[in-house]
Amino acid sequence: MIRFEGVTRRYGDRAVVDRVTLDVPDGSICVLLGESGSGKSTLMRMVNRLVEPSAGRVLVNGRDVTATDPETLRRGIGYVIQSVGLFPHWRVAENVATVPRLLGWEAARIATRVDELLALVGLEPGRFRDRFPHELSGGQAQRVGLARALAADPPLLLMDEPFSALDPGTRRGLQAELRTIHAETGKTILFVTHDVEEALALADTVAVLEEGRLAARGRPAELLERGTGAPVRRLFGEESLAFHRLATLPASTIARPEDAAGDLPILPAEASLKQALMLMLSEGSDRLAVPPTGEFPGGTLYWADLVRPA
Amino acid sequence: MMALLAQVAAFLAALWAAPHLGALWHALFPALARPTWDSQSWFTLLGEHLLLSLGAALIAAAIGLGAGIFATRGAGRALRPLLDAVFALAQAIPPVAVIALALPLLGFGAAPTLLALVLYAALPVMRSAVAGLDAVPPAVLDAARGTGMGRAGILARVELPLALPVIQAGLRVAVVLSIATTAVGAVAGASCLGTPIVVGLANGNTAWVLQGALFTAWLALIADRALRLGLRHGARG
Amino acid sequence: MPLRPALLAASQPAAAPSPPREATAVGLLAALAALAPFLLGWLSLAPNRLLSPRPAELPMGPELGLAMGGFLLACLLVLLLARRAALLPWAEAAAALALCALLATAGLGARAALEAASPMARAMPAAGVWVAMLLLALAAGSCAAGRGGTPGRFLALAVLGVGGLLATGLLDGLSVVHEAAARGPELRSAFSGHLALAGGALALALMVSVPLSLLALRRPRLEAALMGLANGFQVVPSLALFGLLMGPLAALAALWPALRDWGVGGIGPAPAILGIAAYLLLPLASSLLAGLRVASPALLDAARGQGMTEAGILRRLRLPLGWGVMLGGLRVAAVQAVGLATLAALIGGGGLGRLVFQGIGQMAADLILLGVLPVVLLSLLVDGLLAILQSGLEVAR
Repeated sequence: MIRFEGVTRRYGDRAVVDRVTLDVPDGSICVLLGESGSGKSTLMRMVNRLVEPSAGRVLVNGRDVTATDPETLRRGIGYVIQSVGLFPHWRVAENVATVPRLLGWEAARIATRVDELLALVGLEPGRFRDRFPHELSGGQAQRVGLARALAADPPLLLMDEPFSALDPGTRRGLQAELRTIHAETGKTILFVTHDVEEALALADTVAVLEEGRLAARGRPAELLERGTGAPVRRLFGEESLAFHRLATLPASTIARPEDAAGDLPILPAEASLKQALMLMLSEGSDRLAVPPTGEFPGGTLYWADLVRPA
Repeated sequence: MMALLAQVAAFLAALWAAPHLGALWHALFPALARPTWDSQSWFTLLGEHLLLSLGAALIAAAIGLGAGIFATRGAGRALRPLLDAVFALAQAIPPVAVIALALPLLGFGAAPTLLALVLYAALPVMRSAVAGLDAVPPAVLDAARGTGMGRAGILARVELPLALPVIQAGLRVAVVLSIATTAVGAVAGASCLGTPIVVGLANGNTAWVLQGALFTAWLALIADRALRLGLRHGARG
Repeated sequence: MPLRPALLAASQPAAAPSPPREATAVGLLAALAALAPFLLGWLSLAPNRLLSPRPAELPMGPELGLAMGGFLLACLLVLLLARRAALLPWAEAAAALALCALLATAGLGARAALEAASPMARAMPAAGVWVAMLLLALAAGSCAAGRGGTPGRFLALAVLGVGGLLATGLLDGLSVVHEAAARGPELRSAFSGHLALAGGALALALMVSVPLSLLALRRPRLEAALMGLANGFQVVPSLALFGLLMGPLAALAALWPALRDWGVGGIGPAPAILGIAAYLLLPLASSLLAGLRVASPALLDAARGQGMTEAGILRRLRLPLGWGVMLGGLRVAAVQAVGLATLAALIGGGGLGRLVFQGIGQMAADLILLGVLPVVLLSLLVDGLLAILQSGLEVAR
């Protein structure tokens, strides 16, 4: 879907993005993770030509993005940013309808689409359609921002630290919602963040950027395997690396296939080992029951297995 | 700094040279019989111009600062709407109108100009004093009160120093405005660098107008530059 | 926004509303205005047009008593109405009423006083009446201070009221009115000349500053040059700028005599319009740039990211969001243009300044007033009209 080929962006003598080659497969969420100034936003902004590469090229569906004029290209790519950027003088409905209007859809189709999208992002259309942006909370505004990006049903979404300015509770709620929407719509999402927990919660693949270079990439579990490189260890924090690793592994992988005693706390099979650890700590129990789901036959999770070197 | 001094030196040299450049003025204005302004020394005019404008600016600064301090505390706060109304009204009345209106009451000479100068130069000082004092964060005042400072101490050692950059900007506007308005005062008989302009206009002598205009504009630009420079140093110190 | 008054009302239920912050200033001004004519005099009489006036007794009569009573009552009304925030607009209207009653009193007094004097004699309002008028205007301004500072209601009612008084001939005894009647055509041509000067300069300044500001928006060096130039013009005294423009324009006209037919020359409206326009560059360009930048960089990023073109961003974001700021700059520029046009008469540009400078030359107070009063009125009206437009646009948002 998206392919960066030896992409470099220089400002003066400084290479902000330095020879990055990266593939983002169709229908996956790829998180660009790095500290501020690592070049992750710049790399993302080259996809919709808000920044042009100094060298290398960016392909979307096999086509060089420079072959399409910037406005047409951008109307086909959803874009969500940290400050949301809702137009303050337009109502929620008009904001969501920005791209459909630019594309010249007819009014009735736009109205249906707006209601559909507001419902999708969890805002009741009747209550929110006619509000102005200053009448929304931060979380609601970012939901509208997401609806706006999805309005013309673009196959690709670019999200630049969209949840960073929200308080932790709202942020976790929106992360979960984004996963749900992703599962429903199958969009390809390129997501920029500096928050490692957010990256692990969302990503199919993570690309770690350091000083403009691609320092590591892979599925979260691969990335955090023992013996991972220095940049990843720095970013995730040496001492909490093991803890983050637990977050990347599903509980079903190390549950023993034995029937659980009836009074054990219950952990869903798709929960991560980090969540298992949390549940053990909060329940004061060294065993958890994992009920069967799908192909997983059910089992019991032991404290000893959890802390054994994986 | 050096550039400014060089400009002042060039200005003074030009003032000295102007009466001796008869050939130049004759060449520029061949139709005029007496193109060289020589009825008064340029230095006298400069002195009078500066005395009038800086004197007025000084009085205006005192009035403006006092009113600004008064309007930001205690009973004075109640008069804020009045200040706003004065600003709005003053905007609608050009200084030359005030000079003209004061003329029948105060007679020809510097007096009507002085009145207009003080009135108009006090406004930016007052406005900047109010803005600067208003902008002092309440937390800072709270902290000052907490350390046991008295009202006068807080004003002198906390509020005014913090408001100083804004007040200085107001003072600069006041001085520049005052130098410019002094020139207009020439129509009411105030002797200043504007005098050759007004006399030249009355007699159809464009050479005098040009000389007067040149030096008036030059003085204003030098003053503006000097004040900007002074303020930058003040802000750093 | 519209919720706010309701919330405030809910938070302080049955308690009697305390006087608004305007009450003290307005009350004080109204009281002083009522006293001023009694302390500083109502009327002055001069034996003829050029001799200086002397204070004169007000010849009391029933009509005069009625008008004076109306004036005092209206002043009291201003004071009382200003004690309730909701009634402030009515206090402003009462100030206009007081102004009209004050003028009617002076007019009636002048008429009665002249009956007993020689036909050459002139009667004019004494200092007390002028001071009271100023105080009433300030009282009205204070009433409006919370709403942007332009007392539109006062202005409209005062213009209507004074117009009515003039139409009935009640003010004919006052020397300014006498002077205006004698110089009717001259006054009218000066007024239209003044409008042409101010309007022409404003149009010229707009033609220069609008395209330059749009260009400078994304070119920092052009912006620095534009603002430097505009700031430089502000520093140069207007009289000097007019003088400096005379030479080059005279030279141009000498080179191409055809230009004279267009009114271009060293003397006349051309250097005046150019000079005034130069001063308007700063308020116009700075407010245009500030207005175009009301739309924040993040907003622009979002808009570009959605695929809006630069023209679309200008039309749908920058302009609608920046109207208020830009109109504010236009308001300042228009008022300045009206004021600066007064000086145009010095270089033969005409306008109301001609009456002012003629008056200065003859030391004739009436003539000076005849020039100054319309200038002040025009500035206040321009300011008021643009303020209404500005607040209308802000409400529309």
